[in-house]
Amino acid sequence: MTRVALRGIRSHLGRFLLSVLAVLLGVAFVAGTFSLRSMMSSTFSDIVESSLTGDAYLRGSEVAAGAAPMGPGAEVAGDRNRIPLSLVQDVADVDGVETVIPDLTGPAVLVGADGTAVAGGGGAPSFAIGLHPDEPAAIVVQGRAPSGPTEIALESASLRASGLALGDTTTVVVAGALVEVEVVGEVAFGAPVAGATIVFLDVATATTAYAPDGRVATIAVYASEGLDETEVVERLTAALPGGSSVEAATGAALRAETQEQIQSALGFVSTFLLVFAGISLFVGAFIISNTFQMLVRQRQREFAMLRAIGASPRQVFTSILVQAGVVGVLGSVLGVGAGVGLVAALRVVFAQMGMELSGRIPLDGYTVLVSVVTGTVVSLVAAAVPSRRAALTPPVEAMRDDVVVHDRASTLRAALGGVLVAGGLAAVGMAVADRVDERGTVLGLGAAAVVLGVLLLAPTVVPAALGVLAAPAVALLRPLGGLARGNVTRNPKRTASTAGALMIGMALVGAASVLAASTEASTRSIVDEEATADYLLQSATGQVPGGLAQEVADLPGVQRADALHFSVVLVGEDQVLALGVDPAIFGTSLEINVVDGSLDRLAQGELAVQKAEAESRGWVVGDTVDLRGSEGRRTATIGVVVDSRALGVPLILPDEVFTAVVAAPDAAIDSVFVVAAPGTDLETLREDLTAAARPYVVVSVMDAEQFADRIADQVNQILVILYALLGLSIVIAVLGIVNTLALSIAERTREIGLLRAVGLGRTQLASVVTIESVLTAVFGTVLGVVVGAGLASTLPTVFADEGLSVLVVPWTQLGVFLGLAVLVGGVAAVWPAIRAARMDVLEAVSYE
Amino acid sequence: MPETAADPTAGPIASARDLVKIYGKGETAVRALDGISVDFGRGDLTAIMGPSGSGKSTLMHCMAGLDTPTSGTVVVDGDDVGRMKQSQLTRLRRTRLGFVFQAFNLIPTLTAEENITLPLDIARRPVDRDWFDTVVDAVGLRDRLDHRPSELSGGQQQRVACARALASRPAVVFADEPTGNLDSRSSGEVLGFLRRSVDELGQSVVMVTHDPTAASYAHRVLFLADGRLVAELADPTSESVLDALRDLGAGRAERDAPPVAVGRRVSR
Repeated sequence: MTRVALRGIRSHLGRFLLSVLAVLLGVAFVAGTFSLRSMMSSTFSDIVESSLTGDAYLRGSEVAAGAAPMGPGAEVAGDRNRIPLSLVQDVADVDGVETVIPDLTGPAVLVGADGTAVAGGGGAPSFAIGLHPDEPAAIVVQGRAPSGPTEIALESASLRASGLALGDTTTVVVAGALVEVEVVGEVAFGAPVAGATIVFLDVATATTAYAPDGRVATIAVYASEGLDETEVVERLTAALPGGSSVEAATGAALRAETQEQIQSALGFVSTFLLVFAGISLFVGAFIISNTFQMLVRQRQREFAMLRAIGASPRQVFTSILVQAGVVGVLGSVLGVGAGVGLVAALRVVFAQMGMELSGRIPLDGYTVLVSVVTGTVVSLVAAAVPSRRAALTPPVEAMRDDVVVHDRASTLRAALGGVLVAGGLAAVGMAVADRVDERGTVLGLGAAAVVLGVLLLAPTVVPAALGVLAAPAVALLRPLGGLARGNVTRNPKRTASTAGALMIGMALVGAASVLAASTEASTRSIVDEEATADYLLQSATGQVPGGLAQEVADLPGVQRADALHFSVVLVGEDQVLALGVDPAIFGTSLEINVVDGSLDRLAQGELAVQKAEAESRGWVVGDTVDLRGSEGRRTATIGVVVDSRALGVPLILPDEVFTAVVAAPDAAIDSVFVVAAPGTDLETLREDLTAAARPYVVVSVMDAEQFADRIADQVNQILVILYALLGLSIVIAVLGIVNTLALSIAERTREIGLLRAVGLGRTQLASVVTIESVLTAVFGTVLGVVVGAGLASTLPTVFADEGLSVLVVPWTQLGVFLGLAVLVGGVAAVWPAIRAARMDVLEAVSYE
Repeated sequence: MPETAADPTAGPIASARDLVKIYGKGETAVRALDGISVDFGRGDLTAIMGPSGSGKSTLMHCMAGLDTPTSGTVVVDGDDVGRMKQSQLTRLRRTRLGFVFQAFNLIPTLTAEENITLPLDIARRPVDRDWFDTVVDAVGLRDRLDHRPSELSGGQQQRVACARALASRPAVVFADEPTGNLDSRSSGEVLGFLRRSVDELGQSVVMVTHDPTAASYAHRVLFLADGRLVAELADPTSESVLDALRDLGAGRAERDAPPVAVGRRVSR
């Protein structure tokens, strides 16, 4: 029987080809995701390995919150209190210690030869490091080490990216100040730096810039050769002054911790990608299942014959599963190859964008195993139902002339679908009506149930829905439209699963576009309502240089310039985003809703809490909150509960409290709000502001409208990535339509012969096939867009508190998707239509 | 054999001259048609008979423009089919020919009525309701017009196919074993209708069959063997057809025997 199965594949290779391709695409995505993840993680591991080379590290012993990781050095700081620089002397004399290097790292902007900021791809960080003469990780390969505040050296990749050469003068922004510097050296770093821009300063300059209070995040200790790391730590611990919040850790421990942090950050990315891999495999499963259903149908008589000559149902079942297995394994293996190719291509693209990744494209046994197993299992599961049907073919079918099987939508399936849709809608309704806790979760589950239910219900609605959709074609293109409608409705299950692939992709696209349009509109309304400042300054690096904030405040015509400082602080054990503001900002630059208490309390050192945060923690006005940060700890009273979407941060602290908790180097200025003095010409002010910001390269001056535009741009950028990923599921869906059409045309050979015999022209036949294809595509798209956009429309109600307050349905865009569906249908029909038109009439009529 | 008269209504509706069809090449070549010349009478029901492999289906396929002869000419209703391009052939089939096949004659997704008018719809020609009614009444399917093929019996399906073949008032209807899959009663209905379409509606029908009873409905029966026309019979009965077949069988058995003439000689 196995031989029969394998011969079957050999003789019908074409029919299996598209199934193999479907598996291939799905698996390529899975394998690509895994190896992309490995590649990224090995890139960062290399960075960690080559930058954290110390045998031991001194760091704060208290877990506190710091700014987000900034670079190889700052990653180490993480969430601990800062330690005094003076420890360098304390431990330098410890027996066995050779070199002690404090971590002097902080954000910096480098202006390249073209006058713009040097920025790597993918939001890679840009920072400066104090280049210690004994630093083992960095080697000066050209020129010399910087000395004095007006000299810098650049990391090799950064030097290339900047277009600068040794001896050139340029500008850097270090610790918020503009400095004219000369490039005096090129420094090689042990590993590809993943697009990071690294500027090396001399130690004194870096100390002034990044340790102005005489404290740093970590201090690296290099011991003499052969000394065990644990031994070094023990000696250091003994040498540390008592009572100070400092501890020593082995280099190995620190590297492990850092690796772990990176892995968990990358985990999010790969989860995201894996979701898409899952979707494409799911969609691919539809194609595989369809293929086998049709193959089984076509070969019903063959199976009946096998049964008649004594094959057991089990043998027939197994023979088809063997074929599915071969398709699965073949598709998976090719898919792994394609996935690796995909990653290799991505690597080149990233490199072009200035983000160099590790040269190794890792393909470990795990990736191969997971990919192949996934692809094969999906194929087997998808083929199981058709196989069962084949196995149950009564032998007498072999004697019959015509095997006419009419697939009707099964009632059980329809009932299950109905229940899921109803239940899902009920859950969505509850979430919208705010009748449940955990609204987001309930909404998500409800939405999933609706999507699944619609997939199950699709065959039942096919006849009616396609009757409506086909009406124009039927009326305008007699008799072609009618023939096409007949073909797509005669087998509702098949049409539904073919369209199902497209439906899923389109549901996601539809949902994403509603979400994006609503986010944009919500942002605009927030900006309109709350931001009353005339201008806003923001930086492409996420940090407005402090020097500029000061300069702006001193400009003529500026009444107020409020710098908003952000950092993470610890409340209990939780990391919470906090904002430090001058209490006077309220009422001038910002208008926010007060729920309870008074904003005036901020001036007395009390803090403001967002409504959502207060509700989830059970805080009320008058409660005290214990805050910890890299600077110290502070207990503050809650003076006011607010509801502000512009300040989408749980805690708003007065500057006085903020600086007491967060060390200056860990606070980033997110934006500066500028209010013009009465009578100032706004255009003149704008010119002044722009002139002040220009040297800093990365800072832009925006009015409220431009700010909203910029946020909209960011939303759209995310959307582009989403569309690109979803494009893949649409490609798979197109393959599915091609597959179904090709197989159903093969199935209808005699019918097509008959049509041609009674006078249907080739073009007309091709048109029928194209109309079928377009109808299927439009059906899937309409279903998907309705479901996706419909479900996404509930988001603004459910997530109003998270800033999504306005619902906008982008009708034009949804219309474009529909147009796309027509296009997709047309494209998918090309090959099957040509095949159908080329059939020889006589052969077709007498086809068995 | 008389020359075709100037009056187009007087001559044969379709004719073949020196028709040769060879399948395959070299050693495996098969001469399916071996130089056949034949006329099909206007307003006649002509049956083509012969054993398997005699070339009867090939002859019909070549006459209908479904197959291309290796050499020789085919003229249908005054036009040289052999010189037509694919698109012209399609138009010919659509407007001037009707087809009835042995099985799988109908489009399963269309109703009986839609199947009947399909050639007209394809040609975008209006349906002549009077003619339609005449045909539908003749096949006796008035109350079945809304049914799908799967809801019709085999005989009814073939009658719908006959009605479809006649719907566009074709010059000639080609029927390939139209009763091959039917029981005797249904066969009678279908054949009776084909004969009536000739006698009462003035159509011309060419039918391939291997059933002597079916052939007895024809005005004239042509007998083929090994790609040649070996005999013909006018106004046949089941018995005379059977006799003719028996004689032919005997003739085939004796290879060296001269071709057996049954009834009238082939050339008039």
